[in-house]
Amino acid sequence: MLAGSSFYPQRLQMEVASVKRKRKEYAVSIIFLAPALALLLVFIVYPVCDVVYLSFHSWKGLFGQPKTWVGIDNYVKALTSAKFWHAMLNCVWFMVGSFVVLMPISFGLALLITSGLKGTRIMKTAYFMPVMLGTTAVALMWTYILNPSWGALAELLRFLHLDNLIIDWLATPTVNVIAVVLVNEWMYAGYNMLIFASGLVAIPDTLYEAARIDGCVGLQRIRYITLPLMKNTFKVFSILAFTGSLKVFDIVWAMTRGGPGDTSSTPGIILYTQAFQYKLFGRSSAYSVILLVFGVALSLIVNRVFRQENDLYA
Amino acid sequence: MKKRKRWNLLWYTLAVLWGVITIMPLVITVLSSFKNNNEINIGLFKLPEQWRIENYIKANSTANALGSISNSLLLAVMTTILVTVVGMMAAYILARKKLFFIKPLYLFFMVGVMVPVHCTVVPISNIATAVGAKDSYWFIILVYAAFNLAQAVFLYTGFIEGIDRELDEAAIIDGCNDLNLLTRVLMPICKPILATEAIFVFIYGYSELIFSLVLLSKEEKYTVSRAMLGFTGEHSTDMGPQFAFVVMSMIPMVIVYLIFHEKVESGMLSGAVKG
Repeated sequence: MLAGSSFYPQRLQMEVASVKRKRKEYAVSIIFLAPALALLLVFIVYPVCDVVYLSFHSWKGLFGQPKTWVGIDNYVKALTSAKFWHAMLNCVWFMVGSFVVLMPISFGLALLITSGLKGTRIMKTAYFMPVMLGTTAVALMWTYILNPSWGALAELLRFLHLDNLIIDWLATPTVNVIAVVLVNEWMYAGYNMLIFASGLVAIPDTLYEAARIDGCVGLQRIRYITLPLMKNTFKVFSILAFTGSLKVFDIVWAMTRGGPGDTSSTPGIILYTQAFQYKLFGRSSAYSVILLVFGVALSLIVNRVFRQENDLYA
Repeated sequence: MKKRKRWNLLWYTLAVLWGVITIMPLVITVLSSFKNNNEINIGLFKLPEQWRIENYIKANSTANALGSISNSLLLAVMTTILVTVVGMMAAYILARKKLFFIKPLYLFFMVGVMVPVHCTVVPISNIATAVGAKDSYWFIILVYAAFNLAQAVFLYTGFIEGIDRELDEAAIIDGCNDLNLLTRVLMPICKPILATEAIFVFIYGYSELIFSLVLLSKEEKYTVSRAMLGFTGEHSTDMGPQFAFVVMSMIPMVIVYLIFHEKVESGMLSGAVKG
């Protein structure tokens, strides 16, 4: 009896304490999450909603001016414009560049800096540097190098007696996109090198040891051990490559402004110029929505592709 | 053994080749920044006959190089601090509390990572006009922070989840409240990921272009990217100062890099960046 009588108030106390604790948990959680949520709601969620709303309207961008409903007109105009599809094609150039140029270089550099050779520390530091310099600075630097009359590349080609290869790279259609893509790869090679290297160092040495005993050497090692175990790293690279290619803006804007005559423009540049040069804010918003849908869809598809492969081989 | 040596030779050749490709453009740019147009025309690979410091002075006086660089540094530092503090607070709750709204919120942050920045340019410029925040730095800092936040929260949450919960419990028994637990116990352990993400937020804040094009109109408020682009547009005749501006814009980043590169590299090698 004695024990029981003291038991009940104690339990009650504990319950009160637990309710209090729970309430405190909620309060703390909400306070800690509030700033992040507020930022995201104001600068991402609201703008995304607004851009969807604007994409069905015609608006000259003057504050307080009425927005007129035009239905899917903006989308029809956007999707039937040759300019847009040309810009998408340029995105494809960026994607192709990522997989054909950037991936082999970065993967090779990753193998190099994790190889245990002498001097890898300084290589790592040097190779990673370009991404630190800032896109605009890198873009301008290369614009000067690619100048056909006094640029360094032209000078180098003259020195090698390859004068006929000298053209105005940034003013020639297709060539200008490829040039910008290559500059982009120059900038990000070191960054992706570290992404691949992080996958490489995560593979335990004992696996290679075991493979060596089984007679697996050289390129076979890469084919049968390194690549399968780095699936997740390749997934990260692919997502970054696809979504990154869709949202290219800075480097193209700084090097060519999308020109000459929109030949090197990207969707990012189109939606910027539509809004802030041509004052077609509704049209620009339609491009934004299209870009948004493409971006999310690509991320999901890449995720799905890699997940399926995991299921197959796991 | 001989085969091994041949492989090494191949590796070193490739290493040097990529090293040259990486460093040469920088060398040319630095050399050109001390030349006049004539010398640039004669040959970019040659040393300048005379080291013209006046190019730097001219870049500063006509394009406000130093002013725009300090503007960008201010934006970068403030954005980095904001993202680190706000992101860490959110990540702590998302990783450690078990309340009904945690999971949906986490997914919400994940979706935030996928939204391309440029899609929101028009509405954000409208918000800025509505609240009279054009040309105001606090607004642009909030925008920059918002766009780096989702990624940061995602990375921090993943990192905190990897830390043993027993550590929290021990700290709570010792009388730590949530704030102390976060700042005194978890933050120090999270240093690698905080440093890595901080560097990338810093680069973003320093070199961001599209929002500075849209939100800033006063020349004295220009960021370094904006000022540099304007300078090349207007003064295309005199190349030396343009090179000088590019070099000046890179100097703060190179300094930051040299100080922090080992942290960044080790952070990234431990797999800090994951989608």
